[in-house]
Amino acid sequence: MRRSVSLYGLTFSLPLLLWQLVFFVSPLCFLVALSFWTVKNFRMQPDFDTINWVTMYGRSVFWMAYAKTMAMASFAAVLTSVLAFPLSYAAAFKLSETARRWAVFLMVIPFFTSYLVRVYSWQIFLSDAGIINVMLGWIGLGPFHLLNTVGATMVGYLTLAFPLVVLLQMFSLVFVDRTLIEAAHNLRSGRIRTVFAVVIPSARVGLVIAALFCFILSFGDFVSPIYLGGGDPTTLSILITDTTKSGQQWPRAAVIAITMIITLLAVAFMAVRFAYKGRTK
Amino acid sequence: MSDQRPDAHQRSRTIDFALKTYLLIGYAFVFAPIAASFVFSFNSDRFPSIPLGSFSMDWYRAVATDPLVWEGLRNTLLVGTVVAVISTALGFGAAYTDYRYKFFGKQAYMALALLPPTIPVVILGLAMLAFLSRVDLAGNAFAVIISHVVICAPFAMALTRLRLSQMDASLEAAAWNLGASEWAAMRHVIIPFTAPAILGALFITAAVSFDEFAVAWFVSGLNETLPVKVLGFLQGQVSPRINAIGTFVFVTSMTLVIVAQVLLTGRGAKAQKAALEEE
Amino acid sequence: MQRDALVAFDGVIKRFGSFVAVQKLDFEIRKGEFLAIMGSSGCGKTTTLRMLAGLEAPSEGAIRLAGKPINDLPTWKRDTPMVWQSLALFPFLNVIENVEFSLKMRGIGKAERRQRAEKWLDRMQISEFASRNVAQLSGGQRQRVALARSLVVEPEILLLDEPLSALDAALKVRMQTVLKTLQRETGITFVYVTHSQSEAFSMADRVIIMSRGKIEQIGTPQEIYRTPKTRFVANFLGSSNIFTGDVVHADAATIGLSTPSGTFRLNAAAGGAVKTGQQATITVLDTKPALSLDRPAESRNMLRAKVIGEEFVGATATIYLETAGGQEIRVQKSHAELSDLPVDIGQELYVSWSQDDGHLVSAA
Repeated sequence: MRRSVSLYGLTFSLPLLLWQLVFFVSPLCFLVALSFWTVKNFRMQPDFDTINWVTMYGRSVFWMAYAKTMAMASFAAVLTSVLAFPLSYAAAFKLSETARRWAVFLMVIPFFTSYLVRVYSWQIFLSDAGIINVMLGWIGLGPFHLLNTVGATMVGYLTLAFPLVVLLQMFSLVFVDRTLIEAAHNLRSGRIRTVFAVVIPSARVGLVIAALFCFILSFGDFVSPIYLGGGDPTTLSILITDTTKSGQQWPRAAVIAITMIITLLAVAFMAVRFAYKGRTK
Repeated sequence: MSDQRPDAHQRSRTIDFALKTYLLIGYAFVFAPIAASFVFSFNSDRFPSIPLGSFSMDWYRAVATDPLVWEGLRNTLLVGTVVAVISTALGFGAAYTDYRYKFFGKQAYMALALLPPTIPVVILGLAMLAFLSRVDLAGNAFAVIISHVVICAPFAMALTRLRLSQMDASLEAAAWNLGASEWAAMRHVIIPFTAPAILGALFITAAVSFDEFAVAWFVSGLNETLPVKVLGFLQGQVSPRINAIGTFVFVTSMTLVIVAQVLLTGRGAKAQKAALEEE
Repeated sequence: MQRDALVAFDGVIKRFGSFVAVQKLDFEIRKGEFLAIMGSSGCGKTTTLRMLAGLEAPSEGAIRLAGKPINDLPTWKRDTPMVWQSLALFPFLNVIENVEFSLKMRGIGKAERRQRAEKWLDRMQISEFASRNVAQLSGGQRQRVALARSLVVEPEILLLDEPLSALDAALKVRMQTVLKTLQRETGITFVYVTHSQSEAFSMADRVIIMSRGKIEQIGTPQEIYRTPKTRFVANFLGSSNIFTGDVVHADAATIGLSTPSGTFRLNAAAGGAVKTGQQATITVLDTKPALSLDRPAESRNMLRAKVIGEEFVGATATIYLETAGGQEIRVQKSHAELSDLPVDIGQELYVSWSQDDGHLVSAA
């Protein structure tokens, strides 16, 4: 209707904008500034010094953590996507409408349980005298050292991201054009081959986005690496929490955080490019 | 879509069976920790494992009599309620803005409104802690409220926007045409129509805030919310109390979500059914 | 502005960015008339209606309602209720609450609101549905609710935006009768936008045909049908044969036009003034020509064409023919008239019409 700015329109559009600018954008910008501050006598001082960056980037601990976190998050993204796929495929193609709605509902429930509590549960399963080892004991195996390993951390990442990845994959698989599959079958493409040749490429965007979300979640999580992985290897998230809570070295923590953001942005950018490669949005 | 699948004659029984088995295994994996937590909250053993000990309500009793837990719960409920109201209001405004207006920089506005859930909570927590300390707001319930609104408003916005897209494109204009000013149309038409989504947003944002522990851990200082206390339990005296709290939180969150679902679909479904019977 | 004019569009132009949706509209809407604005999508008819309702503001020019300019009046201050294409009934209100809505917005008290709404529900014969939810009603019943909702304020003018387009054929015809009767009884000016020729011609007192933001012709349905003013209108109505050619002869009595299909004569009075050498277009309604195997009298206009198709619409048939030069001819006849004429595909026939049957189109 009227194109000019009205009080009515502003009443609805401004509040969220202002809130996010003040409480979301500013803190993140502040984080950047903070990375250039110095800490003298356990007190922070506004400054413009690159010492935090130099120190942090000069430490092999940092780069080890960076490499380990990248590796684990990437592996988690691939592992979760691969493990989730048969499930999403089954739900999208092999279930009736009603069954699928139940499948979605059940997969949404985990979002409303506490991630912390689920991690604690896994401790119960994976510990040396835990459920899995006891059950293995019944058939004469083990006990195996399952907790405080990278494997346990992976289990934690799965608990965190699996439901989301399944839902995202399901959502994109449901929209795959069924006639394409029929046509492929008609052209003598076997069932398995059709999945790789037709279904996956058709749903590529959704599958890549799902993997990206898993990567982002795993990259930043600190609960699984600490409580299931035993803090070993040290991830960037652990590094941040350690640096923050002990010694008040917030500027250094800021350096880590900003490096993480830049990495995530780069990964997200490349992932989206790859997802949409060769097709119009 | 159900039984007339086009490839019906080509389905392999073995593959179907394998896939459905995998489906069950997948859900078992997802629900194992949840089920275990529920079961062990009633188990008497201090160090949970199998075989199970005896049935016991001890952990619930321990939790119910722990003043720290009550304090955490109080903080969580306070924070959750305030966050729900503010997030829903802000989210509604942004959704309506997206629905109605086109303007320069709209994409940037939308990005800003929807971005927060994509930033890792660790980073968000650190940023909020540093920023709020600067303005002397960290370490109390306000800090948690502010941070949670940042995270929860996008959910409220998405839900409201979804509902608005279900609205007849001419409905608001029809209200103006019949004599309602913009404010009157908002009061008498838009809000009644989006009421289910508003209610749903209130419950969902409350549920999200209820479970959020990471950012809260950074900024709550000594005024810890319940999830932060749980984090503390994990660090310190690991005990099945966590299961008791976890089950309680789960039941509460699920109730909030189910109520929201019923409100969102209940009204619509009833009217549709009646219409079908009439025709 | 004429004395009986209710609405006047004065040099109204509407632009959306660089796209001109409506180019310089100048017309009046008379009090108490049923006016249809007709055209295909994108012609600007809906934009015109929305400007009258206040949902779009003219880029230039003025719109006057009862003599007063209303350009700056917001929608809710104008008394121009509209019946929407999607009906836009409020799903969270029941039928009578929907109808009461505009009265409520005017601050009218509960008792009076209810009374007036009930009166209109009764008039539209839907009183029994008063407390039902609108989703429980059929298409036709919902239409009546929409009408009652707009008319309850007893306005001077009612706008309708293709309200019948979603209805099936039988219901459509019934609703057309309802609308026409309603308009006659209440004397309210109806402005009806549609893309359907049959709707417009069967209900309206006057019709405006628009194309690409311009008015092609305003007139009664009869006038437009018999004497289309432009080639576009003739084409749009689709019931005329159109011939374009050079004027070879023009005097007070007859005009001669030389076209690729032949040279035809028409009465000079049946059109505007043309000069020899000019290009002109003539139309011949498809009900006028005669078909014959034998050569018709020389005093008639004639051409030879081959039958290429046939279409049945109720009691009449339309025969499609094509001349050697590729000109398409259409002739509409009743089944009786065609009974002893061979009209199989490929049959060559004479198509002829008298000098009185041609009409000169004013513009090119």
